[in-house]
Amino acid sequence: MNGSVSTYRETAPSNGYEFSSGAGYDLPEYPFEAPPELQGGPLVRHPVVIVGGGITGLTLACSLARYGVAAVLIDEDNTVGVKGASSRGICYTQKSLEIFERLGIYERVVAKGVQWSVGRTFAGKDEVFSFDLKQQGNFHLSRQPPFLNIQQFYIEGYLVERIRTLGHAELRWQNRLVAFEQNDTCATLTVETPAGRYRIEAEHVVDATGAHSPLRQWLQVPFDTRRGDDRWCIADVRFTKHPPVERHTWIEAPFNENRAVWQHLMADEVWRIDYQMAPDSDPEAVSRESAVRSRLARHFGADVEIEIVWVGPYTYRSECVHAMRHGRVFLMGDAAKVMSPFGARGGNSGVADADNLAWKLAAVLKGQADPSLLTSYNEERIEAARQNVCVTNRTARFLRPADGIERTFRQATIGLARQYPFARSLINTGRMAVANPYSHSSACTYRAGGGAGLSVQNVRFAWADGTRGCVNDLLDWAAGSLLVLVFGDLSAAALQRLRRLCLDAPVRSVQVLGPDATAQALEHVRDPQGHLQGACHVFGHAWALLRPDGYLAATGESVDAQLVSAIERCLGLRGETP
Amino acid sequence: MKLAIHFQDADAFYEQLLDAHEGLSREDSELLNARLILLLANQVGDSRVLSECIEAAREIPTPAAE
Repeated sequence: MNGSVSTYRETAPSNGYEFSSGAGYDLPEYPFEAPPELQGGPLVRHPVVIVGGGITGLTLACSLARYGVAAVLIDEDNTVGVKGASSRGICYTQKSLEIFERLGIYERVVAKGVQWSVGRTFAGKDEVFSFDLKQQGNFHLSRQPPFLNIQQFYIEGYLVERIRTLGHAELRWQNRLVAFEQNDTCATLTVETPAGRYRIEAEHVVDATGAHSPLRQWLQVPFDTRRGDDRWCIADVRFTKHPPVERHTWIEAPFNENRAVWQHLMADEVWRIDYQMAPDSDPEAVSRESAVRSRLARHFGADVEIEIVWVGPYTYRSECVHAMRHGRVFLMGDAAKVMSPFGARGGNSGVADADNLAWKLAAVLKGQADPSLLTSYNEERIEAARQNVCVTNRTARFLRPADGIERTFRQATIGLARQYPFARSLINTGRMAVANPYSHSSACTYRAGGGAGLSVQNVRFAWADGTRGCVNDLLDWAAGSLLVLVFGDLSAAALQRLRRLCLDAPVRSVQVLGPDATAQALEHVRDPQGHLQGACHVFGHAWALLRPDGYLAATGESVDAQLVSAIERCLGLRGETP
Repeated sequence: MKLAIHFQDADAFYEQLLDAHEGLSREDSELLNARLILLLANQVGDSRVLSECIEAAREIPTPAAE
């Protein structure tokens, strides 16, 4: 490992969103407390130090706290969100909401947020097509809705409060990282605070500092980048009489000089209206209040009363590091990759990054897994990062086609889509974020037709006493251990093997039965409609090895050596790649 | 990707294609071609075949302008 020392100059702005006008939000402020190191305490080596208290860093801290693992989180600011600015992320996927349930903040998120499932896409004055996510796929099987819109800082605020309840994590506000080095023994961080500078040591460092990561610069992490001339301007507004609770997107809006427009509801009856501007347009000119008001008047009519909450011009770029781990440093969230906002893949992938690393770090720090398990963090999340960057780049190219043949193809697509359903699949106003599959992970055991590397939805089943439960309840019960779900009846030998496994390894097992079958294992649940089995991507007599992050490590048929080796691989105990 | 003849009536298709473009401006012709490519691509569907067709079309050298 190479050491690297540098200094970090100024507080970086956030991803191009900057305050322009409007009332903004009142964000909570957290008090600065002088850290123990500045009160004469010794130089402490922490197992985990998280740099950055955005949605990603806080998700990780909360998830580690849930596993009982101590962490120190430092953040240069004293609040959630971006001071004086608005919310960045607004849309959270079913998978993120499932994670928030495990973390214990979902009830607050769902109470505050707005659910939606209907999306309509327009070109010119006509609707080109619409969809209802509740009617699509298996979205309706989870306890969580397909999507929920809420300002990002609410989630961050709930996480802060949840972490305080759980304990284990220490949140240090107004603590800014100013220098960093690492070697074979540990990493050393120099932190600046209003009360002075101090140093801490860490075994593992998480860079969740966002799109302008100083750590990434210091470590000279290689990355790919792409930027274009597409310009947008957000108006977060309140109406006296508001539009329907649906996601509306215009590819070509007649009221916006035939450029794209997004219309989306958030909490507090605030609507996010996102207008595409002319290429390379001046951010200051497009965000002037008079310009914003006339844009809104063209859109909603001159007589509609509108309160402007926030206005923010932005541009985007795509960026993806080549590797998300550098020595003791794990990059996550925007520090690892940034992308256009289309499809809500930024915030949601940050949450998934954190959820992926949390259980692995916990298992390693508790001595249940080999440190080599941590290499699967990069394998799995770099695959997701690349996929998300690729998908969002495609959307950006549809929304801002190059002049010439790219525009011609888009025109052809829109024309066809008005008449023929097949062409609607080419209309790309954003592909909503998904739980990315992992196809090349050393922690997963792959076999043809198996479910390894896929996410398991938070579907319902019945506990032995008939009350309803969900996959998240099983994961809670497993408390950070791997979970073997065995479907159907078991031979005496298989039952014996399972019991031994649960004694010898950090594994818990549950038998999953139909409505009437006789239970053989003490720990059993019933899956009368087969939703649990379907969510685990298995059929008939089978087992599914479920990780604490709700992903399948492997699936198989009989309880034999294959299950044992899959467990070992999922704990980093087998060197070879599957 | 099929490289052997698969047309039922190659000449008739070619004629119909030219007729469709007759009298169109360059822009409208390009738009017609784009629509046609998308319609035909959906008939094919198969990702590998589509990818091979795109590559095959790219590989034919463009003759130098006269």
